[in-house]
Amino acid sequence: MTELALDNRTLPDRSTVVGWLQNYGVYLGLAVLLLFNVFFTDHFVSGENFRTQAVQVSPVLIVALGMALAIGTEGIDLSVGAVMALATSVTSLYLGYGPWLALVAALIGGAVIGLAGGSLIAFVGVQPIVATLALMVGGRGIALVLLPQLKDVRDPAMATLGSGSVAGIPYLALIAAALALIVGFVVRRTTFGRRLLAIGDSRPAAQLAGLPVHRVLITVYVCSGVLAAVAGFLATARLQASDPSSLGNLMELSAITAVVVGGTPLTGGRVRIGGTVAGAVLIQLLTATLIKHDLPSSWTQIAQAVVIVLAVYAARERGKR
Amino acid sequence: MKPHSRTTTRNILALGLVAGLALVTGCTKSESDNSAPAQTSSSGDAGKQVAGSGGGKTCAIGDYGADKLDLKNAVVGFSQSEKEANPFRIAETASIKAEASKRGIKLLTANAQSQFSKQISDVQDLIAKGAELLVIAPLNSDGWEPVLRSAQAKKIPIITIDRQINAAPCKDYVSFIGSDFVAQGRRAADQLIEATGGKGEIAILLGAAGNNVTTERTKGFEDRVKAKAPGLKIVFKQTGEFTREKGQSVTEQLIQSKPGIKAIYAENDEMGLGAVNALKGAGKKPGAVKIVTIDGTRNAVQGIADGWISAVIESNPRFGPLAFATLDSFTQGKPVGEDIVIQDSQYTGANAKADLNKAY
Repeated sequence: MTELALDNRTLPDRSTVVGWLQNYGVYLGLAVLLLFNVFFTDHFVSGENFRTQAVQVSPVLIVALGMALAIGTEGIDLSVGAVMALATSVTSLYLGYGPWLALVAALIGGAVIGLAGGSLIAFVGVQPIVATLALMVGGRGIALVLLPQLKDVRDPAMATLGSGSVAGIPYLALIAAALALIVGFVVRRTTFGRRLLAIGDSRPAAQLAGLPVHRVLITVYVCSGVLAAVAGFLATARLQASDPSSLGNLMELSAITAVVVGGTPLTGGRVRIGGTVAGAVLIQLLTATLIKHDLPSSWTQIAQAVVIVLAVYAARERGKR
Repeated sequence: MKPHSRTTTRNILALGLVAGLALVTGCTKSESDNSAPAQTSSSGDAGKQVAGSGGGKTCAIGDYGADKLDLKNAVVGFSQSEKEANPFRIAETASIKAEASKRGIKLLTANAQSQFSKQISDVQDLIAKGAELLVIAPLNSDGWEPVLRSAQAKKIPIITIDRQINAAPCKDYVSFIGSDFVAQGRRAADQLIEATGGKGEIAILLGAAGNNVTTERTKGFEDRVKAKAPGLKIVFKQTGEFTREKGQSVTEQLIQSKPGIKAIYAENDEMGLGAVNALKGAGKKPGAVKIVTIDGTRNAVQGIADGWISAVIESNPRFGPLAFATLDSFTQGKPVGEDIVIQDSQYTGANAKADLNKAY
């Protein structure tokens, strides 16, 4: 104990270090993992490999962007995996009209789920975790009613979207990057972003200040639903099939992990989009590393747990300050 | 807060919800499906439903403590474990229904939708509705005590299909009919050895962890490779969780980190099809990496015809004929096997095109 106290005195900027770690630890982790792979993983440094990682991370990343918004309002969106399943079902059902209409229909499906969740949270006052849990269960149910079993997708445009690239960069990665930039801009530079964070800081205060709390909350969950639907649509294109019973399973947890590891506190009021992107990439790279070294999948789960605990620990330290 | 603007918002919301739902569910139009509907039960391959070599213990009606009855006039209850959302379950239920109607037997059916508590109450409902014989596709192996007790009280014979329950055969239930998953793994190994010439580095896409199908299909395969083809090195073993998506993601990592991989053994068709996606995405030619899978779904057998997959070992879902034949013998007083192995066929380049319609 005395030693620790001494440490605190001799290192007056300890809290600064912890704060720095919380803010930038994810980048540090990412750098370490990249270096490890460069030296110890065969065939890691290749365009093809980076493309694969980028494509695989894209759906998680897109979902995580919406999740970051929900978490920024001190909420959470557990329905995202189910929305992906719904989107894949709807995509399959509307593909006869062409991919664009299928996309629109899928997005509407995601928006409807978001609207339902947002309304429950804003108007009825249901806790976000409960409201979106209900939608998580119900959403997958609807997805399976619409499309009871896996169906192949044969549309050539979908195939191009799923596996094609422009200037060596896969379409999926381009779309994910563009969405990350947009969401980052919205959070930082728009009134909506400010209001979202104000609500996350203190909903009563935001209400007293006359902010349109209900409208902002609903918009946030609609955004999250639409983003998850985009992810579901892209995953369908990548898989060349609609599989509502397995698509998006546990996606909510992957997305929350990416957001939390990226340094966004669950207590709301702060959203770190850059960190979320890095968090998603970190988790993807961690999984890929363990697979490439052929370690048992249970290790992946344990490694993810360690990363989450580290991230939460850093957040706790910051809270104590 | 202006109250009327809030009601307007709510009205718009309600309208949006309704319109959205209508759009999502109404006037859909999927891609035209040019693949023929899956054949559920063709009389042509009736021979395949014959049990494999038995040789185990048998069970007669006297040992079980039930009474003889005429199957033609009996009521049979069928409890399916999972919703008919995958080809295996669809074909399994269809096969039971088809055989019941062929024999003119009254069949009561229930589906537990993957919830074990529902399956327990399903079976109790079937008993209450007057089922005199039960065919159960169990979701779990454990937890069957209450059902077994109510069945025993009414002396109802039970046959379980595709999964076993942890209970005493010929006492708690009559017999179990299922595939030999270890043998499936062995046969997959044989096919893969043939396709690769017995040399090179190979990968396994494992099924879901902690599942007996996974362990048995792995054991059969590994033992056979070790015994018959020491030149084949298993350098990569990762779970694809029996889904196409995971099969694809894992294979993408595989072909990047081990470009020299010669063959992939996928423990079910879906993961194998995911592997095909990954190989296509990486610009490989059909057959550059050999793939052997297990299940026998239509898509995988089509994959053989297209040159991507070398062989598919069938896991036969058509339990109907064998289940009812067993019930028939049993209720007439003839002894039946306690552990009946359903015969699985296989698809290779030689028969894939001709037998495509037999795939489910």
